[in-house]
Amino acid sequence: MKITIHIWDLPHRLFHWLLAVSVAASYITATIGGALIDWHGRLGIFILGLLVFRILWGFMGSTHSRFSTFFPTFSRLTAYLKGSWQGIGHNPLGALSVIALLGTVAIQVGTGLFANDDIAFEGPFFNFVDKSFSNKLTSWHSTTFYVLLAFVVLHIVAIIFYRWVKKTNLVTPMLTGKKEIPVALAESIAPLPDQSFNALRFILSLIISCTIVWGVSGGLSQLSPAQAAQQKAPPPSSF
Amino acid sequence: MKKKLTLAILLAATGTAAIAGPIEEQIRFRQSAYSFAAWNVQKIKNQVVDHPETYNKDTVAAAANAIAAVANSGLGALYGEGTDQGIGWKQTRLKPEFFQKKAEVTVAANTFNEAANELAKVAATGDANLIKTQFGKVGESCKGCHDLIRIKE
Repeated sequence: MKITIHIWDLPHRLFHWLLAVSVAASYITATIGGALIDWHGRLGIFILGLLVFRILWGFMGSTHSRFSTFFPTFSRLTAYLKGSWQGIGHNPLGALSVIALLGTVAIQVGTGLFANDDIAFEGPFFNFVDKSFSNKLTSWHSTTFYVLLAFVVLHIVAIIFYRWVKKTNLVTPMLTGKKEIPVALAESIAPLPDQSFNALRFILSLIISCTIVWGVSGGLSQLSPAQAAQQKAPPPSSF
Repeated sequence: MKKKLTLAILLAATGTAAIAGPIEEQIRFRQSAYSFAAWNVQKIKNQVVDHPETYNKDTVAAAANAIAAVANSGLGALYGEGTDQGIGWKQTRLKPEFFQKKAEVTVAANTFNEAANELAKVAATGDANLIKTQFGKVGESCKGCHDLIRIKE
Protein backbone atom coordinates (compact mmCIF):
# COMPACT_ATOMS: atom_id res chain seq x y z
CA MET A 1 0.00 0.00 0.00
CA LYS A 2 1.33 3.36 -0.99
CA ILE A 3 0.10 6.85 -0.55
CA THR A 4 1.03 10.00 -2.45
CA ILE A 5 2.25 12.95 -0.47
CA HIS A 6 3.21 16.48 -1.45
CA ILE A 7 6.86 16.82 -0.71
CA TRP A 8 8.48 19.69 -2.66
CA ASP A 9 6.42 22.83 -3.01
CA LEU A 10 6.40 24.77 -6.28
CA PRO A 11 8.86 27.53 -5.24
CA HIS A 12 11.28 24.84 -4.05
CA ARG A 13 11.11 23.05 -7.41
CA LEU A 14 11.39 26.25 -9.40
CA PHE A 15 14.41 27.22 -7.32
CA HIS A 16 16.03 23.87 -8.01
CA TRP A 17 15.61 23.87 -11.78
CA LEU A 18 16.38 27.57 -12.22
CA LEU A 19 19.57 27.08 -10.22
CA ALA A 20 20.58 24.09 -12.34
CA VAL A 21 19.98 25.94 -15.59
CA SER A 22 21.64 29.16 -14.37
CA VAL A 23 24.76 27.39 -13.15
CA ALA A 24 25.10 25.58 -16.48
CA ALA A 25 24.56 28.84 -18.36
CA SER A 26 27.14 30.60 -16.16
CA TYR A 27 29.70 27.99 -17.04
CA ILE A 28 29.02 28.30 -20.77
CA THR A 29 29.07 32.12 -20.81
CA ALA A 30 32.31 32.24 -18.80
CA THR A 31 33.98 29.74 -21.10
CA ILE A 32 33.08 31.59 -24.28
CA GLY A 33 33.80 35.03 -22.84
CA GLY A 34 33.70 38.08 -25.07
CA ALA A 35 30.36 39.85 -24.93
CA LEU A 36 28.85 36.90 -23.03
CA ILE A 37 30.86 37.74 -19.92
CA ASP A 38 28.23 40.38 -19.15
CA TRP A 39 25.59 37.64 -19.19
CA HIS A 40 27.80 35.65 -16.88
CA GLY A 41 27.65 38.60 -14.48
CA ARG A 42 23.88 38.90 -14.78
CA LEU A 43 23.44 35.18 -14.20
CA GLY A 44 25.61 35.46 -11.10
CA ILE A 45 23.38 38.13 -9.63
CA PHE A 46 20.31 36.07 -10.53
CA ILE A 47 21.85 33.10 -8.74
CA LEU A 48 22.47 35.34 -5.73
CA GLY A 49 18.74 36.07 -5.74
CA LEU A 50 17.97 32.34 -5.96
CA LEU A 51 20.26 31.63 -2.99
CA VAL A 52 18.73 34.37 -0.86
CA PHE A 53 15.30 33.03 -1.71
CA ARG A 54 16.32 29.47 -0.82
CA ILE A 55 17.68 30.55 2.55
CA LEU A 56 14.49 32.45 3.37
CA TRP A 57 12.45 29.52 2.11
CA GLY A 58 14.41 27.32 4.48
CA PHE A 59 12.63 29.15 7.28
CA MET A 60 9.35 30.09 5.63
CA GLY A 61 8.66 27.34 3.11
CA SER A 62 6.60 24.21 3.49
CA THR A 63 7.71 21.33 5.74
CA HIS A 64 10.34 19.61 3.61
CA SER A 65 11.94 22.85 2.42
CA ARG A 66 12.72 23.91 6.00
CA PHE A 67 16.26 23.54 7.27
CA SER A 68 14.95 22.46 10.66
CA THR A 69 13.27 19.47 9.00
CA PHE A 70 16.35 18.10 7.30
CA PHE A 71 19.41 19.78 8.82
CA PRO A 72 22.04 17.03 9.14
CA THR A 73 22.55 17.11 12.89
CA PHE A 74 25.00 14.69 14.46
CA SER A 75 22.24 12.48 15.85
CA ARG A 76 20.44 12.32 12.51
CA LEU A 77 23.67 11.45 10.72
CA THR A 78 24.60 8.67 13.14
CA ALA A 79 21.07 7.30 13.01
CA TYR A 80 21.26 7.30 9.22
CA LEU A 81 24.63 5.56 9.14
CA LYS A 82 23.36 2.90 11.56
CA GLY A 83 20.38 2.40 9.27
CA SER A 84 17.79 3.48 11.82
CA TRP A 85 16.89 6.81 10.19
CA GLN A 86 13.44 7.05 8.69
CA GLY A 87 12.04 9.99 6.83
CA ILE A 88 10.57 11.35 3.65
CA GLY A 89 12.47 14.47 2.57
CA HIS A 90 16.24 14.91 2.29
CA ASN A 91 17.99 12.11 4.17
CA PRO A 92 20.91 13.30 6.34
CA LEU A 93 23.55 12.47 3.71
CA GLY A 94 21.46 14.16 1.04
CA ALA A 95 21.17 17.14 3.36
CA LEU A 96 24.97 17.32 3.57
CA SER A 97 25.01 17.36 -0.22
CA VAL A 98 22.43 20.17 -0.26
CA ILE A 99 24.59 22.22 2.10
CA ALA A 100 27.75 21.48 0.09
CA LEU A 101 26.08 22.53 -3.16
CA LEU A 102 24.48 25.67 -1.78
CA GLY A 103 27.69 26.59 0.09
CA THR A 104 29.86 26.20 -2.98
CA VAL A 105 27.47 28.18 -5.14
CA ALA A 106 27.49 30.86 -2.43
CA ILE A 107 31.30 30.99 -2.57
CA GLN A 108 31.10 31.35 -6.35
CA VAL A 109 28.62 34.19 -6.08
CA GLY A 110 30.54 35.86 -3.26
CA THR A 111 33.90 35.80 -5.05
CA GLY A 112 32.29 36.68 -8.39
CA LEU A 113 30.89 39.92 -6.98
CA PHE A 114 34.46 41.20 -6.49
CA ALA A 115 36.01 39.54 -9.54
CA ASN A 116 37.42 40.98 -12.76
CA ASP A 117 38.45 39.26 -15.97
CA ASP A 118 41.32 41.62 -16.85
CA ILE A 119 39.54 42.35 -20.12
CA ALA A 120 36.26 44.17 -19.89
CA PHE A 121 34.39 42.84 -16.90
CA GLU A 122 34.27 43.83 -13.26
CA GLY A 123 31.90 42.42 -10.67
CA PRO A 124 29.53 44.93 -9.05
CA PHE A 125 31.65 45.11 -5.87
CA PHE A 126 35.02 45.29 -7.67
CA ASN A 127 35.62 48.85 -6.51
CA PHE A 128 35.36 47.89 -2.84
CA VAL A 129 38.65 45.97 -2.95
CA ASP A 130 42.02 46.61 -4.53
CA LYS A 131 42.92 45.07 -7.86
CA SER A 132 45.33 42.45 -6.53
CA PHE A 133 42.75 41.15 -4.05
CA SER A 134 40.17 41.09 -6.83
CA ASN A 135 42.61 39.03 -8.89
CA LYS A 136 43.01 36.63 -5.97
CA LEU A 137 39.25 36.26 -5.61
CA THR A 138 38.94 35.77 -9.37
CA SER A 139 41.44 32.97 -9.16
CA TRP A 140 39.50 31.33 -6.31
CA HIS A 141 36.37 31.81 -8.41
CA SER A 142 37.87 29.73 -11.21
CA THR A 143 39.31 27.09 -8.88
CA THR A 144 36.17 26.67 -6.77
CA PHE A 145 34.27 25.96 -9.95
CA TYR A 146 35.92 22.52 -10.01
CA VAL A 147 34.76 21.89 -6.44
CA LEU A 148 31.24 22.80 -7.51
CA LEU A 149 31.56 20.57 -10.56
CA ALA A 150 32.62 17.68 -8.29
CA PHE A 151 29.57 18.18 -6.05
CA VAL A 152 27.27 18.36 -9.08
CA VAL A 153 28.73 15.12 -10.45
CA LEU A 154 28.27 13.50 -7.03
CA HIS A 155 24.68 14.77 -6.95
CA ILE A 156 23.93 13.24 -10.36
CA VAL A 157 25.73 9.98 -9.59
CA ALA A 158 23.70 9.70 -6.37
CA ILE A 159 20.48 10.19 -8.32
CA ILE A 160 21.50 7.44 -10.76
CA PHE A 161 22.49 5.20 -7.85
CA TYR A 162 19.08 5.67 -6.23
CA ARG A 163 17.35 4.97 -9.54
CA TRP A 164 19.17 1.75 -10.43
CA VAL A 165 20.27 0.30 -7.11
CA LYS A 166 17.73 1.52 -4.57
CA LYS A 167 14.90 1.66 -7.15
CA THR A 168 13.91 5.13 -6.01
CA ASN A 169 13.09 7.84 -8.50
CA LEU A 170 14.27 11.19 -7.15
CA VAL A 171 13.80 13.21 -10.32
CA THR A 172 10.02 12.87 -10.78
CA PRO A 173 9.20 14.27 -7.29
CA MET A 174 11.43 17.25 -8.06
CA LEU A 175 9.33 17.83 -11.19
CA THR A 176 5.83 17.10 -9.88
CA GLY A 177 6.33 17.79 -6.18
CA LYS A 178 4.66 14.47 -5.36
CA LYS A 179 6.18 11.34 -3.93
CA GLU A 180 4.75 7.89 -3.34
CA ILE A 181 5.66 6.37 0.00
CA PRO A 182 4.58 3.16 1.74
CA VAL A 183 1.75 3.73 4.19
CA ALA A 184 3.77 1.93 6.83
CA LEU A 185 6.56 4.51 6.52
CA ALA A 186 4.12 7.40 6.65
CA GLU A 187 2.66 5.97 9.85
CA SER A 188 5.92 5.02 11.52
CA ILE A 189 7.78 8.31 11.29
CA ALA A 190 7.26 10.92 13.91
CA PRO A 191 4.83 13.45 12.51
CA LEU A 192 6.59 16.60 11.39
CA PRO A 193 5.08 19.94 12.17
CA ASP A 194 3.01 20.47 9.06
CA GLN A 195 3.92 23.75 7.46
CA SER A 196 2.00 24.04 4.29
CA PHE A 197 2.68 26.48 1.49
CA ASN A 198 1.86 30.02 2.52
CA ALA A 199 1.42 32.58 -0.24
CA LEU A 200 2.12 35.53 2.02
CA ARG A 201 5.45 34.08 3.15
CA PHE A 202 6.26 33.32 -0.47
CA ILE A 203 5.64 36.92 -1.51
CA LEU A 204 7.71 38.18 1.40
CA SER A 205 10.64 35.92 0.42
CA LEU A 206 10.33 37.01 -3.17
CA ILE A 207 10.31 40.70 -2.29
CA ILE A 208 13.40 40.40 -0.11
CA SER A 209 15.27 38.42 -2.78
CA CYS A 210 14.33 40.85 -5.54
CA THR A 211 15.33 43.84 -3.43
CA ILE A 212 18.78 42.36 -2.85
CA VAL A 213 19.16 41.58 -6.56
CA TRP A 214 18.13 45.12 -7.42
CA GLY A 215 20.56 46.63 -4.90
CA VAL A 216 23.52 44.53 -6.01
CA SER A 217 22.89 45.10 -9.71
CA GLY A 218 23.37 48.83 -9.29
CA GLY A 219 19.98 49.95 -8.03
CA LEU A 220 21.52 51.58 -4.98
CA SER A 221 23.78 53.83 -7.02
CA GLN A 222 20.77 54.88 -9.12
CA LEU A 223 19.24 56.43 -6.02
CA SER A 224 21.56 59.41 -6.37
CA PRO A 225 21.27 60.19 -10.10
CA ALA A 226 23.74 63.08 -10.11
CA GLN A 227 26.52 60.95 -8.67
CA ALA A 228 25.71 58.07 -11.01
CA ALA A 229 25.86 60.34 -14.05
CA GLN A 230 29.20 61.73 -12.91
CA GLN A 231 30.65 58.22 -12.71
CA LYS A 232 29.21 57.19 -16.06
CA ALA A 233 30.34 60.06 -18.23
CA PRO A 234 33.41 61.97 -17.17
CA PRO A 235 33.77 65.15 -19.24
CA PRO A 236 35.87 64.54 -22.37
CA SER A 237 39.48 65.59 -22.08
CA SER A 238 40.63 68.67 -23.96
CA PHE A 239 44.06 67.27 -24.86
CA MET B 1 94.13 42.98 -2.99
CA LYS B 2 90.99 43.35 -1.03
CA LYS B 3 90.07 46.35 -3.13
CA LYS B 4 90.57 44.40 -6.33
CA LEU B 5 88.35 41.60 -5.06
CA THR B 6 85.63 44.09 -4.14
CA LEU B 7 85.94 45.64 -7.57
CA ALA B 8 85.67 42.24 -9.23
CA ILE B 9 82.56 41.39 -7.22
CA LEU B 10 81.07 44.77 -8.04
CA LEU B 11 81.77 44.29 -11.73
CA ALA B 12 80.28 40.81 -11.69
CA ALA B 13 77.18 42.13 -9.95
CA THR B 14 76.82 44.95 -12.48
CA GLY B 15 77.23 42.42 -15.27
CA THR B 16 74.43 40.26 -13.88
CA ALA B 17 72.23 43.30 -13.53
CA ALA B 18 72.94 44.24 -17.12
CA ILE B 19 71.84 40.80 -18.29
CA ALA B 20 68.77 40.87 -16.07
CA GLY B 21 67.95 44.37 -17.27
CA PRO B 22 66.56 43.63 -20.74
CA ILE B 23 64.34 40.85 -19.41
CA GLU B 24 62.79 43.05 -16.77
CA GLU B 25 62.48 45.80 -19.34
CA GLN B 26 60.58 43.57 -21.75
CA ILE B 27 58.23 42.53 -18.97
CA ARG B 28 57.75 46.14 -17.89
CA PHE B 29 57.03 47.33 -21.42
CA ARG B 30 54.51 44.63 -22.14
CA GLN B 31 52.74 45.16 -18.81
CA SER B 32 52.51 48.85 -19.68
CA ALA B 33 51.19 48.07 -23.15
CA TYR B 34 48.38 45.89 -21.79
CA SER B 35 47.54 48.40 -19.05
CA PHE B 36 47.24 51.13 -21.64
CA ALA B 37 45.07 48.86 -23.80
CA ALA B 38 42.93 48.05 -20.72
CA TRP B 39 42.25 51.75 -20.14
CA ASN B 40 41.00 52.07 -23.71
CA VAL B 41 38.97 48.85 -23.51
CA GLN B 42 37.32 50.25 -20.40
CA LYS B 43 36.32 53.45 -22.20
CA ILE B 44 34.67 51.53 -25.03
CA LYS B 45 32.94 49.18 -22.63
CA ASN B 46 31.58 52.16 -20.73
CA GLN B 47 30.31 54.13 -23.70
CA VAL B 48 29.18 51.32 -25.96
CA VAL B 49 28.05 48.48 -23.69
CA ASP B 50 27.27 49.72 -20.18
CA HIS B 51 26.03 53.26 -20.77
CA PRO B 52 25.26 53.65 -24.49
CA GLU B 53 23.59 57.00 -23.76
CA THR B 54 27.08 58.39 -23.11
CA TYR B 55 28.47 57.20 -26.47
CA ASN B 56 30.93 59.65 -27.99
CA LYS B 57 32.13 58.73 -31.46
CA ASP B 58 35.50 60.46 -31.20
CA THR B 59 36.39 59.06 -27.77
CA VAL B 60 35.50 55.53 -28.85
CA ALA B 61 37.31 55.81 -32.18
CA ALA B 62 40.42 57.16 -30.42
CA ALA B 63 40.26 54.31 -27.91
CA ALA B 64 39.86 51.70 -30.66
CA ASN B 65 42.82 53.18 -32.55
CA ALA B 66 44.90 53.03 -29.38
CA ILE B 67 44.08 49.33 -28.88
CA ALA B 68 44.89 48.62 -32.52
CA ALA B 69 48.16 50.53 -32.17
CA VAL B 70 49.13 48.36 -29.20
CA ALA B 71 48.18 45.24 -31.14
CA ASN B 72 50.16 46.32 -34.21
CA SER B 73 53.25 47.42 -32.30
CA GLY B 74 54.96 44.05 -32.54
CA LEU B 75 54.42 42.93 -28.96
CA GLY B 76 55.99 39.58 -29.79
CA ALA B 77 59.39 41.25 -29.45
CA LEU B 78 58.73 41.62 -25.72
CA TYR B 79 58.48 37.88 -25.18
CA GLY B 80 62.16 36.96 -25.40
CA GLU B 81 63.75 33.87 -23.83
CA GLY B 82 63.65 33.98 -20.06
CA THR B 83 60.84 36.51 -19.80
CA ASP B 84 58.59 33.98 -18.06
CA GLN B 85 60.49 34.88 -14.90
CA GLY B 86 61.09 38.35 -13.60
CA ILE B 87 59.59 41.50 -12.22
CA GLY B 88 58.50 44.36 -14.45
CA TRP B 89 56.06 46.62 -12.64
CA LYS B 90 55.27 43.42 -10.83
CA GLN B 91 55.99 39.69 -11.18
CA THR B 92 55.19 38.51 -14.71
CA ARG B 93 52.29 36.12 -15.15
CA LEU B 94 53.66 34.52 -18.32
CA LYS B 95 53.49 30.72 -18.17
CA PRO B 96 56.76 28.95 -18.97
CA GLU B 97 54.77 26.86 -21.48
CA PHE B 98 54.68 29.97 -23.64
CA PHE B 99 57.93 28.89 -25.23
CA GLN B 100 56.58 25.45 -26.14
CA LYS B 101 53.29 26.77 -27.46
CA LYS B 102 54.57 29.34 -29.90
CA ALA B 103 52.43 28.08 -32.80
CA GLU B 104 49.22 28.36 -30.77
CA VAL B 105 50.30 31.70 -29.33
CA THR B 106 50.90 33.04 -32.83
CA VAL B 107 47.37 32.06 -33.88
CA ALA B 108 45.88 33.62 -30.72
CA ALA B 109 47.95 36.79 -31.10
CA ASN B 110 46.98 37.19 -34.76
CA THR B 111 43.33 36.73 -33.84
CA PHE B 112 43.72 39.63 -31.41
CA ASN B 113 45.46 41.79 -34.00
CA GLU B 114 42.78 41.18 -36.61
CA ALA B 115 39.96 41.78 -34.11
CA ALA B 116 41.58 45.01 -32.87
CA ASN B 117 42.12 46.34 -36.39
CA GLU B 118 38.56 45.52 -37.33
CA LEU B 119 37.36 47.33 -34.18
CA ALA B 120 39.29 50.44 -35.20
CA LYS B 121 37.64 50.23 -38.63
CA VAL B 122 34.07 49.93 -37.31
CA ALA B 123 34.69 52.54 -34.60
CA ALA B 124 35.38 55.04 -37.39
CA THR B 125 31.92 54.37 -38.88
CA GLY B 126 30.21 55.38 -35.64
CA ASP B 127 27.76 52.47 -35.81
CA ALA B 128 27.38 51.64 -32.12
CA ASN B 129 25.82 48.23 -32.75
CA LEU B 130 28.65 47.11 -35.02
CA ILE B 131 31.17 48.44 -32.51
CA LYS B 132 29.51 46.52 -29.71
CA THR B 133 29.63 43.24 -31.63
CA GLN B 134 33.23 43.71 -32.67
CA PHE B 135 34.18 44.79 -29.16
CA GLY B 136 32.88 41.42 -27.92
CA LYS B 137 35.14 39.68 -30.44
CA VAL B 138 38.14 41.64 -29.20
CA GLY B 139 37.29 40.51 -25.66
CA GLU B 140 37.18 36.90 -26.80
CA SER B 141 40.54 37.29 -28.50
CA CYS B 142 42.08 38.67 -25.28
CA LYS B 143 40.77 35.63 -23.47
CA GLY B 144 42.37 33.43 -26.12
CA CYS B 145 45.86 34.36 -24.93
CA HIS B 146 44.97 34.63 -21.25
CA ASP B 147 43.66 31.07 -21.18
CA LEU B 148 46.66 29.80 -23.09
CA ILE B 149 49.73 31.38 -21.52
CA ARG B 150 48.77 33.48 -18.54
CA ILE B 151 49.08 32.38 -14.92
CA LYS B 152 45.99 32.86 -12.78
CA GLU B 153 46.87 34.83 -9.70
